[in-house]
Amino acid sequence: MSEVEGTIGIEAGIVTLEDLRREGRLPPPEVLERGVALPIIDCLEDIPCTPCRDVCPTGAITMKTMINRPEINWDACTGCTLCAQACPGLAINIVNYHFGRRSLRRPGYEEYALVMLPYELTPIPKRGEVVRVFDRAGRQLGEAEVFSVMKSPKFGTVMVGVLVPQSIAFEVKGVEVKRRWPGRRGGAP
Amino acid sequence: MGESMQDRRIWEHPVLSWDRGTPLSISYDGRSVTAYPNETVAAALYAAGVLAFTRSSYLHRPRGPFCMIGKCSQCMMRVDGVPHVRTCILPVEDGMVIESEDPHDSEYPTPARELRVERQELSYDLAIIGAGPAGLSAALAAAPSGMRIAVLDQSPYPGGQLVKQTHKFFGTKESFAGTRGVDIARNLISMLKEHPNVELHTTTQVIGYYPPEGVLIAARAEGVDKYKLMYIRAGRYLVATGAMERTLAFPGNDLPGVMGAGAAQTLMNVFGIKPADDVLIIGAGNVGVIVAYQARQAGINVRAVIDILPKTAAYLVHAAKIRRLRIPIFLEHTIKGAYGDGAVESAVIYQVDRSFRPIEGTEKELKVDGVWMAVGLSPSVELLNKMGARIKFVPELGGYVPYRTKYMETSVRGVYVAGDASGIEEASTAMMEGRIAGLSAAISAGRGTDAMAEERRKAIEWLDLFRESPDYRRIKEGVSKVLIQEAA
Repeated sequence: MSEVEGTIGIEAGIVTLEDLRREGRLPPPEVLERGVALPIIDCLEDIPCTPCRDVCPTGAITMKTMINRPEINWDACTGCTLCAQACPGLAINIVNYHFGRRSLRRPGYEEYALVMLPYELTPIPKRGEVVRVFDRAGRQLGEAEVFSVMKSPKFGTVMVGVLVPQSIAFEVKGVEVKRRWPGRRGGAP
Repeated sequence: MGESMQDRRIWEHPVLSWDRGTPLSISYDGRSVTAYPNETVAAALYAAGVLAFTRSSYLHRPRGPFCMIGKCSQCMMRVDGVPHVRTCILPVEDGMVIESEDPHDSEYPTPARELRVERQELSYDLAIIGAGPAGLSAALAAAPSGMRIAVLDQSPYPGGQLVKQTHKFFGTKESFAGTRGVDIARNLISMLKEHPNVELHTTTQVIGYYPPEGVLIAARAEGVDKYKLMYIRAGRYLVATGAMERTLAFPGNDLPGVMGAGAAQTLMNVFGIKPADDVLIIGAGNVGVIVAYQARQAGINVRAVIDILPKTAAYLVHAAKIRRLRIPIFLEHTIKGAYGDGAVESAVIYQVDRSFRPIEGTEKELKVDGVWMAVGLSPSVELLNKMGARIKFVPELGGYVPYRTKYMETSVRGVYVAGDASGIEEASTAMMEGRIAGLSAAISAGRGTDAMAEERRKAIEWLDLFRESPDYRRIKEGVSKVLIQEAA
């Protein structure tokens, strides 16, 4: 795993799985067993921002007031992904933990999850393409196949779905196309 | 040095596109430069690799644009024989002749020919100075009253800093949350066009205000040598002049390539021009980390974002967005200096201790051709001061700010304020303040309706709640220091 350049810690913008667990943002095992896609909401501060709550069709995301952080009711969430597409901070990704076993049914992919990530860079990955995947600190976790690319005109944010081993399903937070960086000559860094 | 010859225009971007149209040609110090119709002179020159625009008065050091919004004077050149033209807010025209100036050449430079100035006497019910989020929202809120409204802005394009924001805004439905800043600007402007009682004057700079009658003088540029001098008498004035980016003292801070983060945003996002290939950003607050993300969207490599404090003041989600892209944030770091022959070629950063003293042996050299400063803003209150508004220094609000009522009326009856000019905050609150000020101008003129009074009540309530959030309590404290009782 590559080293992290810069200051470590939440003070410097790096959220850890421990932070998420403490805030109740990681779905408990029995919820994962339901086999639906679930939002992982990396929004751990009280900020005045409500689009995820406003867009949720089942009221699964609530806030005490508009200035408080979102809270999720796992039982009410249907995995529709709207919150992830609406979040202005690109802070929500969607994890379908048992996707490999329950939906994909591709030999060798039983232990794979589908993780959908909001993406507002170029180039836009293509379905089937192999991309690099990164954790919250920018450490490369490995490479992954792009399973889906979705962009709804209403939200305008691309959702990139990658197939990753379940072991890193909650760690994956960024993707990068292996082709050259946009506008940069001379290949990837 | 001070120039690089490649075309710096961006042709691929995940959010923005630029309708460039048919290229035209301008001349710069004798060579031909390609420009596009929507560009300003400074943007076109920057795209062609011109980095040094003027020189300092005494040491003749090369200087480049710092603000790109008509405030700093570091982009001044001679255009078609007219000296000292702010090229960053001058739209290009085919065949324009641009010459770099050395201010030392003549103390009182004279135009090569007579300027054509036409005087106009105008009267309005409400004159709004500044067409950013606050000014546009104010006009939109006041428009249904039927008042005759003029909105004046020195920039060639309305929208203020909104037009540079590629990210979706936070907030609530009331503040257009979930919509990108650039789209909010477009929506506000198109809604405003539906009101025939509102005039929007761009490339129009307010140059004076004369009490006691209260005449506002604005110069509307129609080309480089033709002006309309507007003598405006308005029943009410609303000042939404925004803010000016701060700079930081360090060796080399005047080298071309060192600029305000807002200037970089203007080049990247308004004009689609790369200000640099590799950049160091100073300041890891919201502006710094948002600009870092925008830089990556524009294909620019951000080498580091540094901040002298031990914690980023940015929203966690904004900072997190750049960290997962491997853009490092170095906290408790500052810049030692920027170095280069005629333009930035490198910068050295180092770590500081809790007293902000540099720690020996922590120096790091970064090969960068851009250093962008996101070290805060100062409210632009010069006009308000001239109008006689009581001003106070309030650190929580970013500097000198006017006293105001909860209706955003200053200590001068009939003069309102909104947005960053009333205290540095953010675009969402600027829009809400603009709404309150615009509605209040209409209501106080006896042109309001019950619906407008209700809308104002809701806007004030929204603003109060917004400022209850932890990041804004400081603002609330600041506002309480300059809050005055509204007139009956």
